[in-house]
Amino acid sequence: MARLQLALDIGGTFTDVVMVDGVSGALWTAKTPSTPKDPSDGFFDGVEKILRLAGTAPADVAAVFHGSTIATNAVLEGKGARTGMLVTAGFRYVLEIGRHEIPRRENLFIWRKPKRPVPPRLIMEVPERVLLDGRVERPLDEAACRAAARRLRALGVEAVAIVFLHSYAHPAHERRAAEIVAEEFPEAAVSISSDVLPVFREYERSMATALNAYVQRLVGTYIGRLQTGLSKRNVAAPLLVMKSNGGVFGPRQADRQAINMALSGPAAGVIGASFVARAAGFDNSVTIDIGGTSADVSLIRAGAPVTTTEGELGPFPLALPIIDIHSIGAGGGSLARVTDIGSLQVGPESAGADPGPACYDRGGVKATVTDAHVALGRLPPTLLDGHMPLDGRQARAAIERDIARPLGISVEDAAEGVLRIVNANMTGALKVVSVERGYDPKDFTLVAFGGAGPLHGVELGRGLGCRAVLVPRYPGLLCALGLLATDLQYDYARTALQRGPDYDLAAIDAVWRELEQEADGELAREGIPVERRRFVRLADLRYAKQGFELTLAVPAKTLDAAGVARLVEDFHAQHERLYTFAERDTQVEIVTLRLRAVGLVDKIALPEIAAAAGSKPEAYERRGVRLDGAWHADVPAYRRGALCAGHRIGGPAVVDQLDSTSLILPGQTAEVDRHGNLIIRMG
Amino acid sequence: MRNLDTVTLELIKGAIQSARVEMEALIERSAMSPFIREKKDYFTAFFDRDGRLVVSTALPMAAGNLIDCIFERYPRDDMRPGDLYLYNDSYGSHGAVSHNNDMVFVAPVFSDARIVAFAEAWGHLWDIGGMVPGSISPAATDVFQEGIVIPPSRVLRDGIWNEELIRTFVRNTRFPDMVRGDLSAIMAAVRLGGRRMEEIAERFGAGAVEAAFAGMLDQSERALRKAFAERVPDGRYSFRDYIDSDSVSEKSYAVAVTVEKRGETIALDYSASDDQAQGAINFIMDSSVPKTMCGLYFTGQEAGVALNGGFHRAVGEVKTRPGSIVSPREPAPLGMRSHCLTRVNSSLFGAFAKATGGNVPAASSVYVLYYLRSWNKERTELDLCIEGLAVGFGARPHADGIDAVYYVAQKNYPIEFAEMEFGVRVEGYAMHADSGGPGFHRGGCGIVRDLRVVGDEAVIGLRMDNMRWPAWGVKGGMGGGAGRIVVNPGMADERELRPMSEGNKLKKGDLVRIMTPGGGGWGSPLERAAEQVRDDVLDGFISAESAERDYGVVLSSDLTDVDAAATHARRKELARMPRGLFHRHSYFDDEELPRAAE
Repeated sequence: MARLQLALDIGGTFTDVVMVDGVSGALWTAKTPSTPKDPSDGFFDGVEKILRLAGTAPADVAAVFHGSTIATNAVLEGKGARTGMLVTAGFRYVLEIGRHEIPRRENLFIWRKPKRPVPPRLIMEVPERVLLDGRVERPLDEAACRAAARRLRALGVEAVAIVFLHSYAHPAHERRAAEIVAEEFPEAAVSISSDVLPVFREYERSMATALNAYVQRLVGTYIGRLQTGLSKRNVAAPLLVMKSNGGVFGPRQADRQAINMALSGPAAGVIGASFVARAAGFDNSVTIDIGGTSADVSLIRAGAPVTTTEGELGPFPLALPIIDIHSIGAGGGSLARVTDIGSLQVGPESAGADPGPACYDRGGVKATVTDAHVALGRLPPTLLDGHMPLDGRQARAAIERDIARPLGISVEDAAEGVLRIVNANMTGALKVVSVERGYDPKDFTLVAFGGAGPLHGVELGRGLGCRAVLVPRYPGLLCALGLLATDLQYDYARTALQRGPDYDLAAIDAVWRELEQEADGELAREGIPVERRRFVRLADLRYAKQGFELTLAVPAKTLDAAGVARLVEDFHAQHERLYTFAERDTQVEIVTLRLRAVGLVDKIALPEIAAAAGSKPEAYERRGVRLDGAWHADVPAYRRGALCAGHRIGGPAVVDQLDSTSLILPGQTAEVDRHGNLIIRMG
Repeated sequence: MRNLDTVTLELIKGAIQSARVEMEALIERSAMSPFIREKKDYFTAFFDRDGRLVVSTALPMAAGNLIDCIFERYPRDDMRPGDLYLYNDSYGSHGAVSHNNDMVFVAPVFSDARIVAFAEAWGHLWDIGGMVPGSISPAATDVFQEGIVIPPSRVLRDGIWNEELIRTFVRNTRFPDMVRGDLSAIMAAVRLGGRRMEEIAERFGAGAVEAAFAGMLDQSERALRKAFAERVPDGRYSFRDYIDSDSVSEKSYAVAVTVEKRGETIALDYSASDDQAQGAINFIMDSSVPKTMCGLYFTGQEAGVALNGGFHRAVGEVKTRPGSIVSPREPAPLGMRSHCLTRVNSSLFGAFAKATGGNVPAASSVYVLYYLRSWNKERTELDLCIEGLAVGFGARPHADGIDAVYYVAQKNYPIEFAEMEFGVRVEGYAMHADSGGPGFHRGGCGIVRDLRVVGDEAVIGLRMDNMRWPAWGVKGGMGGGAGRIVVNPGMADERELRPMSEGNKLKKGDLVRIMTPGGGGWGSPLERAAEQVRDDVLDGFISAESAERDYGVVLSSDLTDVDAAATHARRKELARMPRGLFHRHSYFDDEELPRAAE
């Protein structure tokens, strides 16, 4: 019987693989180099490696979960399809004009507007006009639409996005235009805004639709290649791909809603962190995933990641429901330098994986955060089971040349300064998702993961005032592990303005039922049995004339007069909680109706480790480590794999594992829980 | 503690920046009016105990001397923990705020019974009374028509609010709930900033914090002095730029400056600027405003430089002439001071252009606003739509000008939102072709907004500048295109509206087309790559006619190919035409006479 859940997360440097036996609870992990030119090579290397390692047959695999950066990279590197658009006459510049602002943190004399994924020359105007209530003011000019489709074809376009004004209220024009494009231009990938994001705000909807078209073909081809390759390797299990909203979807949906893969990797990390933290008994946590170039932070409340519809993908808005992840350019490879005016800066520039930090001795000479850790004795002399030596001399030389000498201080003080500054930057990011959203970090546990997370966790937790820091058993594999903790999750939405106070409840219910029918069909097509389908109704409300909405769960399945009154009251209360005031005399509008459809998937149980049974952890070596300005000569270093549940380690100490090192400060105590997590209590 | 180590300095700097951003986040989270929540018209800062700016929002429109006017009335030694001060008095604060809609709150921060800093925030209030809703009108001729004025006052002492003052103020607005909500938001932010600064002082020690302030000012001063020394040759350079009109008359107004550069500092003299205007374009220019412009531009690409009083120290004296448009006497109205502010910037950069052979940004246009009130016979209800419209910014030595931009952090209303809430229909939102000044780097283009009147009747007020005096181009770059406002274009009853005017009547079905001005170009358009010009033509930023006329680029009839031979010939011919350092309508090297463009 198929019993193995297999997960692969492809990052910039490594492809992380985790496989769990649903029956025995056994867990295997592997890391293979990523293959950016064709990521599917790395994917299959990973599949083969883990099956070999486990010594199992491909037929035993029950499901393959996958997190991928293919959509993100295509957008950030501008490598998507040559995309054209059809828009309502008069609105060819919808992407170019955007929201007409310079971002708040930018310098108006220096800032440049980011290049859009579709240039105006590939955007064709089609006469048609729908009004905000869905009435047709001007019918679709089919001849003009046909001519525009031909023109785009002649211009060598590969994908077409169709966005008409107010199409959420009347999708017929977009659908008919899509048919015409299909007739004239059958080879084009077509995205229509009433499918991708039937929600008002034309710039955000246009961008989501354009980006979807931009990555659709690439994602489709990639997923197709994975499916073919899996079946060639006799893996018959379904492939499920991670979405930005924290759920997974099947190839059918991935093909049509490709842009939902935008935050595939980071979202999997947050789900993994949430899964591990919950299993350890922590429902409220802030999470930080620190890699080579960036740190991604997020907040988990009552066991669930916080989602937003105001996210971003690079410089562009992404108004689809995504996990609220804040990312900054700070990681192990971040470069440290002293500017002309004597200011010490760390990041956002990074030495990346290639050439990497000076201590890697692979051609990188500039001082990085990792070099600072090495100079302070925090890292072991080799990483990856001895496969990757760290050159302490190079690290010290880089810190000395780039930081210590220009500032006239010792190498140790310079290295510690670099770390204090990068930690302050990360603390700032953690405050953005907590303090600035109205949450006090003291009530949250910090989950620190990613290769470098466990090195920084305790200092960040101390700075934020968290009571505990959780370092997962496999900090470098948490994204892959998170993939095994997901369900199918499809988000549907439609703007259907209701001004109140007399809401048309029948009309509202009709929209939800329509969305539910659509969602139900989709879950059925993905093979989810009826008893595993769940539907949650949500609605976006706002005060009249206000430019933003709050999303609220609808209290009852069918909304009656009492239910609507409760919904509106919930809105006032939520507004007051988030924004400090409510305006109970102002008219409340129901703007967008949403449906979250979930197809429950079997979850793994986190494997447990052996109990301490009276044993004490044993250090395998002692290192000189500098902490808070003082050298500690004999800091014990433990092997992560040798720790048992119930072991306690007093700081100062370090815990080494294949791809990560955890730090415990003087006065702090780490306890190993039954899943092998380190729970570090602040002193 | 003068010699603070670099790491501690950077940590304190980061902590203060993060406290300031937290103040902004709280204002945005808890303010009530769309002006603050959507338009994000607010500002936060910290000052040292002497009132010197340490760190602030990066807006060159805001003054850096916000504390001095409080000291005039309330000596520092008399201040106590928990005190809160407020004002919106432009004249009474000597231009610390420059129109009365901006309400300032200031809280002293104590550490061990000694003031170490001030936390400050201001926000643009939706309405403070005056002659029209919103308080700012192109028709104003007197500052007292622009709403109620509160001089620097103490509003909280020993835990007791000056409730009468707040009540009196709120009684004077048409939207008391909204204004009260915004006031609470800004006050809460200032008090939060004060608490955060106390925590920073506790963590690092007051001495270290004060040393860090000094260090931050030093860094910024050093960065700007270095830029002056390296990038601006010694000498005297003068330039003048013009505001189209003050909206109550047809007269144009000059803002004139002389920059005197010596060594690593400069001095500015704006006293040759025209006399103050009758209409609301006067600007009480605090000396810190042009200094901040210098700082933001000249150190903009240097990491780690904070906008602060260091910039103010790096620039020497700033002279103005009382009674002039940049130093008006009460009661000259101030509501639309951004028109003058934009020329304070463009005249300053014009003078630097003369100093550097044109290595500065070309001029940008002033953002555009319209106020549309419409009525429906059945509904008698009034829909007020105030919308800011984007313009084009000037091209820069490192890049094209920004197309279709309003300002920092201020977003437009989505059309699908405006149609839901404001009783308008938008029938077009396009790029204003050829409004970006031709250049090696093209000036940013303005936009075209087509509005259909759906109410039975309507009245529109307009604020658009740069028609007579478009944004100038530099270093061979040409001036930006002017704007236009037309009712029912192409129809029998087509008519133009005055760009600065109130009370224009409209009827149901009228189409108002607002075409906004662009920014100036930088460098000779003949040097812009022909393929780039072709792409701009295909994208609708440049017309085929302008490509040939201004850029010397000849395209095939379907516009997709550059005719290399014809382009070569045309560019050779155009190269014979003399060019000057500046361009607006025609090239010039020194200064335009007031009448030149009228």
